[in-house]
Amino acid sequence: MTTEDNTPNNKKEEYEIDTLTNKRLLSNHEYDGIRELDNDLPPWWKWLFILCIVFAIFYMVRLWVFRSDDLIQKKEFDNEMANVKTVKPTETFEMVLLTDNVSLEAGKETWLKICAVCHLADGGGLVGPNMTDNYWIHGNTVENMFATITNGVIEKGMIPYKDQLSPKQRIEVISYIQEVLVGSTPAVPKEPQGELVE
Amino acid sequence: MELQKFTYDNKITRLFMNATILWGIVGMLVGLIIALELIFPLMSQNIPWLSFGRLRPLHTNAVIFAFVGNGMFTGIYYSTPRLLKTPMFSELLGKIHFWGWQLIIVSAAITLPLGYTVGKEYAELEWPIDIAIALIWVVFGINLIMTTVKRRTKHIYVAIWFYIATFVTVAVLHIVNSIAIPVSFLKSYPVYAGIQDALVQWWYGHNAVAFFLTTPYLGLMYYFVPKAANRPIYSYKLSIIHFWALIFLYIWAGPHHLLYSALPDWAQALGVVFSIMLIAPSWGGMINGLLTLRGAWDKVRESPVLKMFVVGITAYGMATFEGPMLSLKSVNALSHFTDWTIAHVHIGALGWNGMITFGMLYWLLPKIYNTKLHSVKLANAHFWLATTGMLFFAIPLYFAGFTQSLMWKQFNEEGYLAYPNFIETVVQILPMYFIRVFGGTLYITGVVLMIINLIKTANAGKFIQSEDDEAPALHSQSHGVDKGHRIIEGKPVIFTILTLVAILIGGIVEFVPMFMVKSNVPTISSVQPYTPLELHGRDIYLREGCYLCHSQMIRPFRSEVERYGDYSKAGESIYDHPFQFGSKRTGPDLAREGVKGGPIYKPDSWHYNHFLSPQKMVAQSIMPPYPWLISRDLNISTTSKKIRVMQTLGVPYPEGYAERANDDLLKQANQIAKGLRDGGIQVEDTKEVIALIAYIQRLGTDIHKPANNQ
Repeated sequence: MTTEDNTPNNKKEEYEIDTLTNKRLLSNHEYDGIRELDNDLPPWWKWLFILCIVFAIFYMVRLWVFRSDDLIQKKEFDNEMANVKTVKPTETFEMVLLTDNVSLEAGKETWLKICAVCHLADGGGLVGPNMTDNYWIHGNTVENMFATITNGVIEKGMIPYKDQLSPKQRIEVISYIQEVLVGSTPAVPKEPQGELVE
Repeated sequence: MELQKFTYDNKITRLFMNATILWGIVGMLVGLIIALELIFPLMSQNIPWLSFGRLRPLHTNAVIFAFVGNGMFTGIYYSTPRLLKTPMFSELLGKIHFWGWQLIIVSAAITLPLGYTVGKEYAELEWPIDIAIALIWVVFGINLIMTTVKRRTKHIYVAIWFYIATFVTVAVLHIVNSIAIPVSFLKSYPVYAGIQDALVQWWYGHNAVAFFLTTPYLGLMYYFVPKAANRPIYSYKLSIIHFWALIFLYIWAGPHHLLYSALPDWAQALGVVFSIMLIAPSWGGMINGLLTLRGAWDKVRESPVLKMFVVGITAYGMATFEGPMLSLKSVNALSHFTDWTIAHVHIGALGWNGMITFGMLYWLLPKIYNTKLHSVKLANAHFWLATTGMLFFAIPLYFAGFTQSLMWKQFNEEGYLAYPNFIETVVQILPMYFIRVFGGTLYITGVVLMIINLIKTANAGKFIQSEDDEAPALHSQSHGVDKGHRIIEGKPVIFTILTLVAILIGGIVEFVPMFMVKSNVPTISSVQPYTPLELHGRDIYLREGCYLCHSQMIRPFRSEVERYGDYSKAGESIYDHPFQFGSKRTGPDLAREGVKGGPIYKPDSWHYNHFLSPQKMVAQSIMPPYPWLISRDLNISTTSKKIRVMQTLGVPYPEGYAERANDDLLKQANQIAKGLRDGGIQVEDTKEVIALIAYIQRLGTDIHKPANNQ
């Protein structure tokens, strides 16, 4: 055991000095050989603490007294929504299929990202109908398909995509369906649904 | 002065030490498994108890309560008697404490993978185990406090202050947060609901970090750092100020886990400001630890023990600066629900708790085996593996969190979400998950080296069962007059009571208005209790740990409202015992999953196929399949009991509804199953998946009801 229970001399007024740092040791502070120094709080630490408390007071005053917008969630949200600036393209779209490669590639990207979740990547259908055959439930004209994508078919579980896909993206994906998917052979085709459109 | 002779018992220290090492490696290996499961979702091989949602609570509970828990007890049972010059109060209580705690861990390791869970993070264990924890914790507390009463030193040292604060606060946190009404032997519903439950839970969760992972380890630091370095503590004054400031302020900061949630603005603000005020008190501990090494830095270069302490304390300083920063609303808006949080907590767990534990073990084991450490070289290798492992773990996750959050928030010029499909943001960060696994592997390799090193050390030495010491009796010591803080240092029971008062204030100030003032939880008339089938579905949702990857809390941001639907209101979750807001979005938020016409609605058949094989529906999904939901029958024998417990908790089911609840249940199940069968899916009414689909399709729909009725 290393414990040395030397009773410190309480009468001694002089402080013991820690030889390595030249700081005063507290007398009578010894626990299992651990001593404690009489160092003051580091000034920067003290100021950090005070500063944080000032910040806290300032923050609560802004909330409780000044009702600042950025601390009130509802106002913050309303401000964000009010300041939304979007460049929704205003030009009218012609409801015709696009056949250029760039549009078809973009259509494919949208298909894989969004549509494939229910219609499968190869269009064979699973939760949603098979998109490779010539049977259509909601029509196969560009206008019909555009309406289906825009408004969804809620009762069957397809959501409206008007807030997720721009009109251009909708036309592109319709083009991809008609130009690439229809007539292809998926791995596991779902049985035909809807009416045959030749 | 008459010297009294007594002995220190090393056997209990050794027991806790062995348990620390055993549970440490178990907890970390489970962590490694679930990290791999996030990359290889099919890894669980359709075995329910191996799935991510079941194992993640096991990982967190094992690391926090088994590894760090046993680690703290190792240090406390070694240092307390030596600091107070007396044996522990009772060897028997010590043994009950040890074996009781291990039994609790074993029961957790069995029940959590089997899906018995309350569904509240870090408080998942069911009520019989919760009661056992409370009892064993009190045994520990009696042993600790009575030892301070029977001491032979006039004053209690700062390490003991922290031990006392740990005992007192964890007892309060655990009991208040765990109050629940049992449905059966391993199923219960918490008494709190919704946003109130969330406030209590994060008061608990945040302060579990504070008083289970921080204060006991600060106590260990105050003992083992000066011992190992043979240096005096830097500043006694700092000890006093940072101790009281820390325990008083910490308890208020829980609401920072609920920023931008449906929690009222005033409570969120308290969470922010008390977190900011915590920086200095936390750093007080870091300063006192690091500056104690002043004049001994040459030793640090040579000693793996001190090196580990330095990295541990530095990690503590980093984590306690980062924490308050994450509590600022603007930072939290970015960091919350992402891997940033996971990185942050692992700086604490791997850096602070891990390193302090390892350093303590390397110092302690040779001491009680009366020998030298087998290999300093091996310990140095462990040090470097642990340090680099921690960095390889955390840095990629910071990057992942940042990246994914920015992708969630990104709009294109036309005003559409740039990444409307959640999976895109997951695929983007998947490489970071690989690097995390690499970092974790390095860290665990280091622990394996430690185990080899410690076993060889033990084999080379001879275990000292007990050590003799002597000291004058307390009453025979000279009684100078104490001033200031010295007075209560000489009165441990008063000290304990003052600690209790300090940690009660914050909780009371936040809870009382939240529970008493109605305007804090504005009710919405269209919000109704769950149907019996939905309630069962919700229990399956809890059982499978869905809340660990899916939040149910849409924050009031444009990006979230566009992606998920209207932001979540406090009144929507008033029947949610427990709340299921979640804390991480490994998958999308589900708060409005059921809203037809909402941006993330999916039909029943989609959910059915998705539970069977997520990858069939979303090729790159990292969600594991849940085929057992489809083969298992729903247990409807508990329905009436569940309804009755809910009624006791104040959920307004009509009088006598418990008895006829199963009629409604079967009707609703038939409706859903029939719909699926019409779509060509062969499924019976009574399968678990039907209940889960019913629950999912209910989520978030209530506030849309009046509109739908028009």
